[in-house]
Amino acid sequence: MAKIDISKKALLSGNEALAYGAWEAGLGVACAYPGTPSTEILEALAKFPDIDAQWSVNEKVAFEVALGAAVAGKRSLFACKHVGLNVAMDPLMTASYTGVLAGFVIVVCDDPGMHSSQNEQDTRWVALYSKMPMLEPASPAEAKEYVKEAFRISERYDTPVLLRMTTRISHTKEDVVLKDRQVPDAPSFERNIAKYVMVPGNAYRRHILVEKRLGKLKSLAERTRLNRMEPGNRKLGFITSSVSYQYLKETYPDASYLKLGMSYPFCDDKIRAFAKSVRKVFVMEELDPFLEEHIKTLGIKITAKDPTYRIGELTPELIPDVVAGRPKKEKKSAKRKPRLCPGCPHWGSFAALKKMDAYVAGDIGCYTLACLPPTSALHSCLCMGAGVTFHEGWRKGAPDKPIVGVVGDSTFVHSGVTGLINAAYNKVKGVIMILDNSTTAMTGGQQHPATGLTIRNEPTKKLVLEDLCRACGADNVDVVDPMNVQEFRAILEKRMSEDALSVIISRHPCRLLKR
Amino acid sequence: MENRTYNITFGGTGGQGVLKASEVCGWAAMFAGYHVKKSEVHGMAQRGGSVESHLRFGRKVYSPLVAAGAADFLVCFHHEEHPRLKAFLRKGGVDLTVHLDKAVEAVENPRYLNTCLIGVLSARLPIKEEHWMKALEVVFKGKGIEQNRKVFLDGREIGQS
Repeated sequence: MAKIDISKKALLSGNEALAYGAWEAGLGVACAYPGTPSTEILEALAKFPDIDAQWSVNEKVAFEVALGAAVAGKRSLFACKHVGLNVAMDPLMTASYTGVLAGFVIVVCDDPGMHSSQNEQDTRWVALYSKMPMLEPASPAEAKEYVKEAFRISERYDTPVLLRMTTRISHTKEDVVLKDRQVPDAPSFERNIAKYVMVPGNAYRRHILVEKRLGKLKSLAERTRLNRMEPGNRKLGFITSSVSYQYLKETYPDASYLKLGMSYPFCDDKIRAFAKSVRKVFVMEELDPFLEEHIKTLGIKITAKDPTYRIGELTPELIPDVVAGRPKKEKKSAKRKPRLCPGCPHWGSFAALKKMDAYVAGDIGCYTLACLPPTSALHSCLCMGAGVTFHEGWRKGAPDKPIVGVVGDSTFVHSGVTGLINAAYNKVKGVIMILDNSTTAMTGGQQHPATGLTIRNEPTKKLVLEDLCRACGADNVDVVDPMNVQEFRAILEKRMSEDALSVIISRHPCRLLKR
Repeated sequence: MENRTYNITFGGTGGQGVLKASEVCGWAAMFAGYHVKKSEVHGMAQRGGSVESHLRFGRKVYSPLVAAGAADFLVCFHHEEHPRLKAFLRKGGVDLTVHLDKAVEAVENPRYLNTCLIGVLSARLPIKEEHWMKALEVVFKGKGIEQNRKVFLDGREIGQS
């Protein structure tokens, strides 16, 4: 990030602008696990010495630490990508019941178009499902303002607030005005069993409050300036949110708009009033028909995009086709595909696996790229940690096949370790390979417990993977450099021939690591 | 300030400095008083994939992306990427790829290709030299600033030719 002390204006990405807004709002504690397109939020926050920022082991841990800090009195923030939020869903659903003391903001970055993700789930449904409010900025400048509003709403309505970004908002840069930091007085942390101990009786009473809160938030959605009517030509009106609004304004500058910055709860009265004010209403949104389906239930006649546009990212040149009701034409991308870097240590590991003709249960990381031809030596990618657990499942489903599970070092700490404990406990035999390049490479090289450095590159307790694997119950733990081709192949062959649970730590630092 | 929006598409492959180039241009436009939006995709760019960056500036900018067929300028870092990227140019838009070979020749170290191409582009934009210099300083954080200034001015000369 560029230094910004030269003036009170800076060109910041949506993620950086959000971080600045949170800092200005007096943010105290911030937690995340890296994930494109959300990673830069914590990287930017870690540059402020007055914020307690951390890379957490995974999203569930990050969520709980940040929520805990909010419950104890400090404004806190948790950031993740859309699939990362799935990992934190357990605490998230009950956090809606407990509420907060100081403000707590959940930033989630969706990835329409899957620039770097395994699915394109639309997180707006989480707001509906968890009964929590959701704000959706449409630009970096809005991200900076909305995060402040999110803290205010969180404290006023005693609820975590979801702030949804998308890749396009996170990675767009815009000139923004920088302000001073204002830390609100910390409320006093008190024991409150009825509020924070979610046993059935307490949870029942909290659920009543959650439903009441939803009603109050609905009134807020009707009043808030975040849901803004822009009267224009009465022939055509758009109900829209996020980046879709920006694309429409370029193509239809004279139309009327209802721009939704608070996308949940819905502002039904405003929507009705807007629909009455124009002859034709078009609902424009990326991904799922979240607004469309709800507005239809209000009995309002609307037009919306063809279902083919529920897939992929919207781009400005598509807008006229969408409004005209034409279905999407699928085009083959001429973009250069990413691949493992020349000299990447993963090449050695996958050459050995290919030689063994192994069925390789894969995971999330750079090494997922080993699925590409001509290597084609990785045969599954589902979610974080599944390299270890798919290995176990495949062995049960197809015991006669040569199966190996692979997982990265950061991914192993994130959620591979529980799979290894499970395998040992359930007497599973086989080979798990930890592709240890000593960083979280895919997202640009973040620290994690096994690198022994914090988010600010300060030395800390270093997690020793070989000790951890032994403690989990692995019969053999080998540490081998995949660049030593002969030795590496010999160990893999030996371990695959044995009736034991073996972990091979394939260790060689990522060549992109700053030395 | 002119009452129009400038649309520029930058493209190349991972590691060529495409994003830094549009970054310098964005800061320069900001220093010149414009509203700026710049968009990029760098999901897996580090792994050698295509990199594309869109810059738009004017009085008020909505879309962070340049629509296909709407770019006023195309700054292409790699001939192989050109067939794909030229679809961004509008009719009458300026394809600066004609200067790519000259720029490659002009820089001793390929690391400075991006600065040279910004120089080429700068000759066509309503942004003062002082704002470009300030932007170079901010984005490169003072690193190799003398060399960057020199390469920028070389590029500016190529752009004026």
